[in-house]
Amino acid sequence: MMTVNWFRAPAPVARRVRAYFAPVNRVTQTPARFDPAAQGDFALDSPPTPWVDLGWIQSFTRKSTSKTAPLLTGIPAAPLDQVRETLEAHVSFEFFSWTKLTMALATGSQHMNLLTGGAVEAQQGSTASLVQLGTGDENNFAAGSMIAVDADYSGQTGFVGAPISGAYVRQPIADQDYIRRVTFNVGLVASVNSTSLTLATPLPGGAPASNAKIQAIAGFVDREGGSFYQEWSGLFVVEGTQSERIFFHYPRLQSAVGAEEVSSPLDTKHSTGLARTLLKSKFMALPVTDPMDGERVLCYRSFLPAPNALI
Amino acid sequence: MQNAKDSFYMALRTRLASINPERTVLLRGTVRPAILLEEAEAPFSQLPSDVFVLRWLGLGFDAESGLTLDAMECEILYQTCGTQSFGGLDRGRALSAMDKELVALLEPCNTPKLNYTVQPPTALLSQVFWDEPAFSPTTVQRDRLGRSVKIMVYSYQEQGE
Repeated sequence: MMTVNWFRAPAPVARRVRAYFAPVNRVTQTPARFDPAAQGDFALDSPPTPWVDLGWIQSFTRKSTSKTAPLLTGIPAAPLDQVRETLEAHVSFEFFSWTKLTMALATGSQHMNLLTGGAVEAQQGSTASLVQLGTGDENNFAAGSMIAVDADYSGQTGFVGAPISGAYVRQPIADQDYIRRVTFNVGLVASVNSTSLTLATPLPGGAPASNAKIQAIAGFVDREGGSFYQEWSGLFVVEGTQSERIFFHYPRLQSAVGAEEVSSPLDTKHSTGLARTLLKSKFMALPVTDPMDGERVLCYRSFLPAPNALI
Repeated sequence: MQNAKDSFYMALRTRLASINPERTVLLRGTVRPAILLEEAEAPFSQLPSDVFVLRWLGLGFDAESGLTLDAMECEILYQTCGTQSFGGLDRGRALSAMDKELVALLEPCNTPKLNYTVQPPTALLSQVFWDEPAFSPTTVQRDRLGRSVKIMVYSYQEQGE
């Protein structure tokens, strides 16, 4: 008897969606690439560079609002063909956690760090996980402190923050700490000794630049209004029970609404009791030119079928 | 369906041996991970303590997709009197430890489907998977604390099954 080594592919069954984001180089307008053929089997806890794992999300919804119209000809008019009039798509979901990055993504404008105290220089030999200090600087920090690491603001205009742009400066401002105020290069201090800070997780921007300074932060703040829009590349992964994977890759996503939260009761039978406050986010997808054929596109949906499933 | 039931049980048994090698039971002269399939053992007058006991309950089928999906409800029962060294006063802690172990046993929520009627077992093509567990309230029977957890286990019927 012939051995059957395949089965009919069922609709993917999944419980959750995982979100990953990567910075868009705002100066060169270069989004993050994702190649599902070469990178699609990554472990969900350790995405390929430069993607940052933002964990599970809920209420993931994506919607195409692109419009097509018939091209009419003849009497009476009948469709000869159709044309794409507009290209537009939106993505919305809720984050389970509040972090620098999730809060920034879920706000419509720039996201800032609440600076405390003065800045001290990051010394030579610093890495993304170990920041070297000058003599006596260890007194400014303690285990559990949060820090921002970036350069002094020196009057420049345009996108600021390295390597992730945190704001766009239209005209020079009088705030030497401004770049550290908007930088995404933040971390939690795990331990302190007389020469260095060890961080709980590596700085998102990698090793501090030679002109970087360290400044303690107390938390974060964002504003309703302003002219800056966050722009990131987004990757959403649905992993099915048969190990199949669906990827939604949006090379350019911009925040489309202001800061908004949603309340999710811990006990659905007790809606007035304790509730999670979830960050609600909505994005508009912006187009990129696909280098393969020059077409303008908003997103890619890729599918890696389950092993042994018919295709 | 039987392959899915066997695979689910064996996955949990293998995971228990890894998560807590100390949780064992002496059964028919053999020391083994303390997780039993009720229908594959002699009837119990009382469920054994500090052991996970699997019981299969409801059954359903969904053939709408052209590939039949089996849905099997599994109840996992466990109880404890605590330890002798603490005179049983640690029975709440012992039950919490079993709760925690069970949550760990159920992650990830899928496992390869194997045919255990042959030796060595042969891998089939699909995966058995299950939904989130529903924990019942703690039951108290004299000095014994127990709990029951229900899980829906799913599997696609493959050709030849």
